[in-house]
Amino acid sequence: MASDQDLVIETVRDILSAHEPFALTADTAWDAGLWADLAEAGLTGVGLPEEAGGSGGELADAVAVVRTLAAGAGAVPVAEQLLAAGPALLAADLDLPDPAQPLTLAVAGAVHAEPSDDGDGPGRWTLTGTATDVAWAGVARHVVVLAQPPEGIEGAVLALVDAEGLATSDARNLAGEPRGSLVLGGAPASGALLTPAYAGEVRARYALARAVQLAAALEQVLAWTVQYAGERHQFGRPLGRFQAVQMELAEMAGEVSAVTALVDAAVQALERGEDVVLPAAAAKVRAGAAVEVVARLAHQVHGAIGFTQEHKLHHLTRRLWSWRDEAGSELTWSQVLGVGLLAEGGDGLWPALTRVV
Amino acid sequence: MSSPLTLAPAPPSEAAEEVRAQVREFLAGELAAGSFTTHVDTWLSGVDPAFSRKLGERGWLGMTWPKQYGGHERSAMERYAVTEELLAAGAPVAAHWIADRQSGPNLLRYGTEAQRQAILPRIAAGECYFVIGMSEPDSGSDLASIRTRAARNGDGDWVVNGAKVWTSNAHHSHYAITLVRTGPPGEGPRGKHQGLTQLLVDLSLPGISINPIRILDGGHHFNEVVFDDAVVPGDMLLGEEGAGWHQVTAELAFERSGPERFLSTYPLLAEFGRRACDTGDGAQLAALGRLSARLLALRQLSLRIAAALDRGELPDIPAALVKDVGTTFEADVVDEVRRVVDVTPSLDSPDPLGRALAEAQLHAPGYTLRGGTNEILRGIVARGLGLR
Repeated sequence: MASDQDLVIETVRDILSAHEPFALTADTAWDAGLWADLAEAGLTGVGLPEEAGGSGGELADAVAVVRTLAAGAGAVPVAEQLLAAGPALLAADLDLPDPAQPLTLAVAGAVHAEPSDDGDGPGRWTLTGTATDVAWAGVARHVVVLAQPPEGIEGAVLALVDAEGLATSDARNLAGEPRGSLVLGGAPASGALLTPAYAGEVRARYALARAVQLAAALEQVLAWTVQYAGERHQFGRPLGRFQAVQMELAEMAGEVSAVTALVDAAVQALERGEDVVLPAAAAKVRAGAAVEVVARLAHQVHGAIGFTQEHKLHHLTRRLWSWRDEAGSELTWSQVLGVGLLAEGGDGLWPALTRVV
Repeated sequence: MSSPLTLAPAPPSEAAEEVRAQVREFLAGELAAGSFTTHVDTWLSGVDPAFSRKLGERGWLGMTWPKQYGGHERSAMERYAVTEELLAAGAPVAAHWIADRQSGPNLLRYGTEAQRQAILPRIAAGECYFVIGMSEPDSGSDLASIRTRAARNGDGDWVVNGAKVWTSNAHHSHYAITLVRTGPPGEGPRGKHQGLTQLLVDLSLPGISINPIRILDGGHHFNEVVFDDAVVPGDMLLGEEGAGWHQVTAELAFERSGPERFLSTYPLLAEFGRRACDTGDGAQLAALGRLSARLLALRQLSLRIAAALDRGELPDIPAALVKDVGTTFEADVVDEVRRVVDVTPSLDSPDPLGRALAEAQLHAPGYTLRGGTNEILRGIVARGLGLR
């Protein structure tokens, strides 16, 4: 991204470097200390307007925070908060909880919303059902739930629930990040009814958040692998001097560059206020496709040491393998993109392609 | 993120979108009038001088060149939009493609005033066509090992002997910018880059013969161009004697970065899109989504290069990267499509998808060879990564 974000990147890196890297273990669900320092510096509210309780700044600043934390495998719900859940609340005219408290988004599972008359004014709902694959379930203090509306009404209800006291299952993704279910037995929530199109935008923003994380982690994995190939000697020379290894690293670089270019373009489409569903779908699918190549070759070049817990590589490759199918699987977003590009018929593919980003 | 591999994002260009709409309208009219039919890989196989002249009349050739040479002083982003539309429609652009893409820019950069005035306006009019005189029977990836020689005779003219191959459409072309050895190589591993020179060779000269080399589908696009004591006038030296390697490298930045490095098989993808639209099949729609995501990323990469050209940069390393990723995609379209559609490829198929698949398959080996093999390109990218 542009150099305007250098300062925020540097600040996040400073904070990251003051913490033990790669904090996730079987016993720790997240990096509470890192979160506290980020919150203290106002970085958990970047890109969210000050009048809503955020720290202000541009979308590009929020993206820079998310990218830097993703590359550093920071185990904190910043992507969810800054790029998905927070903006969704604001766009639906709902109050943002204190950004110092972690916020996440739940878009999967079967949760029904019914309007409630609890005397707390309009926009109050009751949520019932189970939200599945919830990022940072058990960690996030508040959850923005995309729930099914009452019968006969189209679209979705975007509702904010206080997660304290809610039953949570203990599932993790491949990297050990919490991805449990949240059981909502008549939980009270403030919320707003969304059109189907806007509900689609919320899902797309979440997918784009993951794509931003994927792009950053892919870049970092490439950098680690290039560095390792320069340091590791076999047959009396660095691995990177072998043409076979150079071909693999160049292939990785091609994938990473392609992902970065498309993710940047999708973020810019969002900045311009354009419909982000197809740009986000494309960015997410492209980033996921690159994971196949980049994670495989990174491990191949690192050899056996990269296959161990003691080496750092797995902290990002396991995230890559998970993130590509989170916030909507790669199959889901491929079909969304395919269907969307054909919206104007079989002859409309090319005009659609030139309009996406 | 400022490595030699990454470029700044391209700013949106309203002018490019305007000319895009004009080209699209023109192409729809031409298709409706039956002036051409869509085919795969038409920047190699679709020679149609009448069509090239129509593009010239509309100001869509030599777009970025100064007006004094018949150009139109438009941006590389506008040219990008025009070339992309032509390729997506599978239009017959092969006659002028090389001249417009790289020979003209090469002349602008290194040509004499007389050479520019004599040739550039004719290229921009769609009337003058070029071939690339680089590869030889014994020199493919190892370009600096070429053996075609040129020596000055008593009149100061160049006497050329040797042979060039894979010269696309030499039998329809007027000139070949020909890389020849005019001096001895120097010392050291890069010494053979010395003593190379580019000549602007009129293909109608005595002593030049052009022999067809047919590709897999029987098409005659490639040729062998043989120089047997061909006398090239002394003033047809291009640029500097002995600077041929440097000039060729600059030329390759133009050759490697354009949308023809990922749209050669687009007509197949378009046909596949029609099929997926008709069937509504989930696997086909997902495959279309996956392929489209790759194409959209390639567009962004290529647009970044167009924007860099507009800034006056010559991004040869990113260009190599785009060509590697793009040509791999071109070939992958074939296999991704046939995995999810029940179709048999044949040039005689009554099904347009079967025909497009056949054309794309039979041209496929070329995508990752022409303009520098992907192995060579990855070597350049590895250099950009600091590995060599």
